[in-house]
Amino acid sequence: MLNTQERAHVAQVWDLIAGHEAHFGAELLLRLFTVYPSTKIYFKHLGACPDEVLLLSHGQRVLEAVGVAVQHVDNLRAALSPLADLHAHVLRVDPANFPLLIQCFQVVLASHLQDEFTVEMQAAWDKFLTGVAIVLTEKYR
Amino acid sequence: MVHFTAEEKAAVASLWAKVNVDVAGGEILGRLLVVYPWTQRFFDNFGNLSSETAIMGNPKVKAHGKKVLTSFGNAVKHMDDLKGTFSQLSELHCDRLHVDPENFKLLGNMILIVLATQFGREFTPQMQAAWQKLTTAVANALTFKYH
Repeated sequence: MLNTQERAHVAQVWDLIAGHEAHFGAELLLRLFTVYPSTKIYFKHLGACPDEVLLLSHGQRVLEAVGVAVQHVDNLRAALSPLADLHAHVLRVDPANFPLLIQCFQVVLASHLQDEFTVEMQAAWDKFLTGVAIVLTEKYR
Repeated sequence: MVHFTAEEKAAVASLWAKVNVDVAGGEILGRLLVVYPWTQRFFDNFGNLSSETAIMGNPKVKAHGKKVLTSFGNAVKHMDDLKGTFSQLSELHCDRLHVDPENFKLLGNMILIVLATQFGREFTPQMQAAWQKLTTAVANALTFKYH
């Protein structure tokens, strides 16, 4: 799915995120809810104005799952199967929302890495995250 | 008709004043062509688009990117009348260029990402929201004359 260079870009960026999943995840969710308010309907359990604690804990969960995907980029289907079940049968997130989350993820990376967020990095992460989204929505029907 | 609050207009204007349109335009268009390679279909006469380096360094990409971003500057100046501002460009993109409107959304995404690389932490979630609202509204204005 990803070539050698793309894997290297993904791994390089992940090195910066690892250990800070909660903070990156919280920022990701905050951007998602601020820029695309309709996405909040999937996170009613976080409340109308999720406080930092809730954003951090849920953000950590989301980014830890991304970390699993990074470790298993050759076998996303198997590694993400339980999450795919969850999204298909329990959460039932409209697939149209995944590109919105991916865009916010790119903005988080871009704002943290700035000049280091090269076009090659962006392309690799876009391809990787899109692959994750495809796997997460594969069991929908 | 999209309504922008005073805060949203201020957020957009404050960042726009610091953007180097000459440089950022090429960066934005280049990233679009690299990350979403099918968009290259609209630029067959641009010469070498065979690699990321070729695309980002291509002088026609840089020149056209500058043109596109300069045009986007009109959006910033006329946030209260985007449909009027982009009326002729909308006709052009439909009747002559035959651009799928989906691409306007993709270009909007690239604008935000490049702004984020330039402004870092200053590109707050609120800034991102204001700019997303603007790029979406411009995309809609460009699609308005489609038939």
